Amino acid sequence: MATNILICDDSSFARKQMARAIPTGWDVEVHFATDGVEGVQAIREGRGEVVFLDLTMPNMDGYGVLETIRKEDLPAMVIVVSGDIQPDAQERVMGLGAMAFVKKPIDAAKAEAVLTEYGIMTRA
Amino acid sequence: MTTPPIVTLSDDQRDCYQELTNVAMGQAADRLARLLDSYVVLPIPKVNLIEISDLRMAIEGAQEEDAVSAVCQGFIGSGIAGEALMLFNDTSFTDLARLTNYPGELTHQAQLEILMDVSSLLIGACIQGIGEQLEIHFNQGHPVVLGQHCNVNDILNVSNQKWRRTLAIEIHYTMEAVNVDCDLLLLFTEDSVLRLNHVIDFLLD
Repeated sequence: MATNILICDDSSFARKQMARAIPTGWDVEVHFATDGVEGVQAIREGRGEVVFLDLTMPNMDGYGVLETIRKEDLPAMVIVVSGDIQPDAQERVMGLGAMAFVKKPIDAAKAEAVLTEYGIMTRA
Repeated sequence: MTTPPIVTLSDDQRDCYQELTNVAMGQAADRLARLLDSYVVLPIPKVNLIEISDLRMAIEGAQEEDAVSAVCQGFIGSGIAGEALMLFNDTSFTDLARLTNYPGELTHQAQLEILMDVSSLLIGACIQGIGEQLEIHFNQGHPVVLGQHCNVNDILNVSNQKWRRTLAIEIHYTMEAVNVDCDLLLLFTEDSVLRLNHVIDFLLD
């Protein structure tokens, strides 16, 4: 069965860049959310088994999404993809339950590396 | 004399500039955060085509009555040229001196050194960060002090006589729990904006 992937970022350019970075040959269905509120909604509806999450977003930021996932115990593996790469930001998201932290700009090699490292990707 | 082509900016282009800046300023903030051992608050960068006469309005951090110090530094590469303008609210220097462990009294000279150091770090990281993503190598000119303890309007009067309409990217950096307040403005020449838009369109394609 296809894995539901959610790309949650307020920038359409960043969403596109992320979508392009998803390894080919991985059986996935890609969904998009443009802020944290939409993102949480999509995860609740099962569209975010694997989430690529930005941090700086309007309405609800990435930290808010991680807090909600934890509070509601939602089934999502979250990979934070962020331009804010300060040590504090990395520590904070890992503390909130993110699985991995990837520095923007994302590309296919970085995406494949993190997905393989955490055993998230299963090839069809 | 030929009429210069009209510079425009679509929503997609603006979004792309914002995202590229977001990544670059994150790299710059990371370096500053490590230098000062404090967290830098990252805003959403503002990207606008502005008339030079409206530049004052683009600057968020400094208020009319505040004393500011400013540095500018030119950059050029692949036919794209611009100026980076860094404005510090003068109240920032006390904390910057403390966090950089600056020895001795916070004299005019000391403030100048801190101004140059922090500006080079932020401007350099930001310009190189944007360049890397666009695959352009920017050469940077020498930083020039535009003024210390001045009014914002005086700074802008000396620095910008060259262009009319420009692409302005504004980043307003503040720090958590520390009084540091500065603005980084990236201003591109009109010709450069046309070329940059080409590169951006290629990325968006």
